[in-house]
Amino acid sequence: MELSTSMHIAQGIHGIAFGMVLFLIASGLNVIFGMMGILNLAHGAFFMLSAYFCYQVIAWTGNFWIALILAPVFTALVGIFVERFFIRKVQVMGPLGELILTLGIAMVILGGVKTFWGTENLAVAVPPVLQGMVSLGGMDYPVYRLFMIALALVVLGIMGLLLYKTRLGKIVRAAVSDREMVNALGINIPVVFMLVFGTGIWMAGVAGVAIAPILTVFPGLADQVGMYAFIVVVTGGLGSLKGAFIVSIIFGLLSSYGVQFLSQLAPVLMVGFMALVLAIRPHGLFGVKE
Amino acid sequence: MMIGQIKAWILWAVFIGFLLAFPKLFGIYYTNVFVTFAVFAVFSVSLNLLLGYTGLLSFGHAMYFGAGGYGTALALKYISGLPLLPALGFGVLSAVLLAMIVCPLVVRVSGVAFAMIHLAFAQFLYVLVLRMRGITGGEDGIANFPIPAFTIPGLVSFEMRGAPENFYYFAIIVLGLSVLLMWFFTKTPFGQIQVGIRDNLKRIEYMGFKVPHSKAVIYLVSASFAGVAGSVYALFNNLVSPDGYLGLMVSFTPIINTMLGGIASFFGPMWGAAIYALIEEFFLRFTDKVELVIGAIFILVIMYAPLGFSGFVMKVKLKWLLFKGQRMRKV
Repeated sequence: MELSTSMHIAQGIHGIAFGMVLFLIASGLNVIFGMMGILNLAHGAFFMLSAYFCYQVIAWTGNFWIALILAPVFTALVGIFVERFFIRKVQVMGPLGELILTLGIAMVILGGVKTFWGTENLAVAVPPVLQGMVSLGGMDYPVYRLFMIALALVVLGIMGLLLYKTRLGKIVRAAVSDREMVNALGINIPVVFMLVFGTGIWMAGVAGVAIAPILTVFPGLADQVGMYAFIVVVTGGLGSLKGAFIVSIIFGLLSSYGVQFLSQLAPVLMVGFMALVLAIRPHGLFGVKE
Repeated sequence: MMIGQIKAWILWAVFIGFLLAFPKLFGIYYTNVFVTFAVFAVFSVSLNLLLGYTGLLSFGHAMYFGAGGYGTALALKYISGLPLLPALGFGVLSAVLLAMIVCPLVVRVSGVAFAMIHLAFAQFLYVLVLRMRGITGGEDGIANFPIPAFTIPGLVSFEMRGAPENFYYFAIIVLGLSVLLMWFFTKTPFGQIQVGIRDNLKRIEYMGFKVPHSKAVIYLVSASFAGVAGSVYALFNNLVSPDGYLGLMVSFTPIINTMLGGIASFFGPMWGAAIYALIEEFFLRFTDKVELVIGAIFILVIMYAPLGFSGFVMKVKLKWLLFKGQRMRKV
């Protein structure tokens, strides 16, 4: 009895850790959508790119912490480049053009990654400090999963502070509700957009580094985890952080317990859950009608 | 006017003659390439009924292509002695049935929600087909189901299996008829409502048309022709598999074709399919970097030629007319 309880709790921690990482990616996606009205289909690809950058930085320096700082920043720079030179140019065409453009960018990133690093799984070691288990109240918890949860909370905390305690955050919030008015007040909206896009990509990048030691680094990351992040955002409602949070935790738990009880059905369950929610509420759980 | 009409008839005659002579002119290999092209041309035109005419982007049109393919394959596998046309009918019917189940859910939304719901349903179907190994053969799909001969009782019988030339004529007639039917569909008054829904939804509503109902009819038409394409493709390959019929790339291919050829015109997607077939034949065959090439095509087209090949031709034509007009004025 004791053993199975602790196993369930460990599974729960795994689920929550995965859910938090999903939420990191999904909230980056949501921030971009809420601010710019762009559904960035390349988000999963950026997430994967960051995992590869993490692998590369570790291969050069041998230090996980440097990778944790540098890889997301590099990814964000790539994102800013893409926003500045591609996405900004097609904004006049409406959502259709953006969907197809970001899809194209996702495929180019995927193709580029396969060209540079090949298609094998590349292993990233968990740093020694975070290996093993920690004992708390008579039960063991895997340290790295706890670290993942803490990391996600820290990133989200930083985002919250930025958004609600700084002048830039104020501008961003104002621009979400009335873009033209803010522009008329003399604030350079395209630059703000660029920063927001970069921040969203940076969040996906942090998630990419966090997940690299667990899942290893391979091109399928973009499809697998990226797809889950899309499902989360669309199910929770585009632009709704609350919805994204609830659905990512549900999905995290669903995937960790699902693997344990009915491993064959876990992916079907998740996609089925999405299809069910969208069938009843086409704009997601907490989405607003366009 | 008369002369123009005669010219058009001659052009049609030349075109049909070309189609008839194709296997003799280019040999078996390119005949098969042409059948693949024709299948994807019809699939793309059916998608364009939604995308170009009605303004609805679907990331899951492979559902109906796959339903057509699997419907035909399963019918031929389990019903012994099933003739060719009913087998085709089973494919189309399964696509229509699937569309009838899905359409009440999707006709009320548009834009991003429409695209994503289709992504969800198509992925759901893909995973389902992958897991229901007993019926669908899982990853391996269904292969080597019998391909019946095309028979008109008491008159003629054309063997289809191992006779690529016969199959070519069959495919071209079925797919050509599909294109003609879709063409007439867009020319009916009802077909014009599509454009209205795309351009000014509120006005269509105000004029007394029921938008969800109209969308549902268009959706069913689009799905059924995607089913025709999938069914013919299944007969052509004698194989259906999740990746070849239901995968994400299958949903993206007609979108690529439509974007390449021109979203604003009926024949655009067919041009796109032809260009894509050429790219595939001469480029993708020699590289494994398919994503890189296709992704770059997406980006280039959307940034520099958002109306695709047809738009480009139109632009050149306009410039030419302007140029001619200026010269006339000078003289």
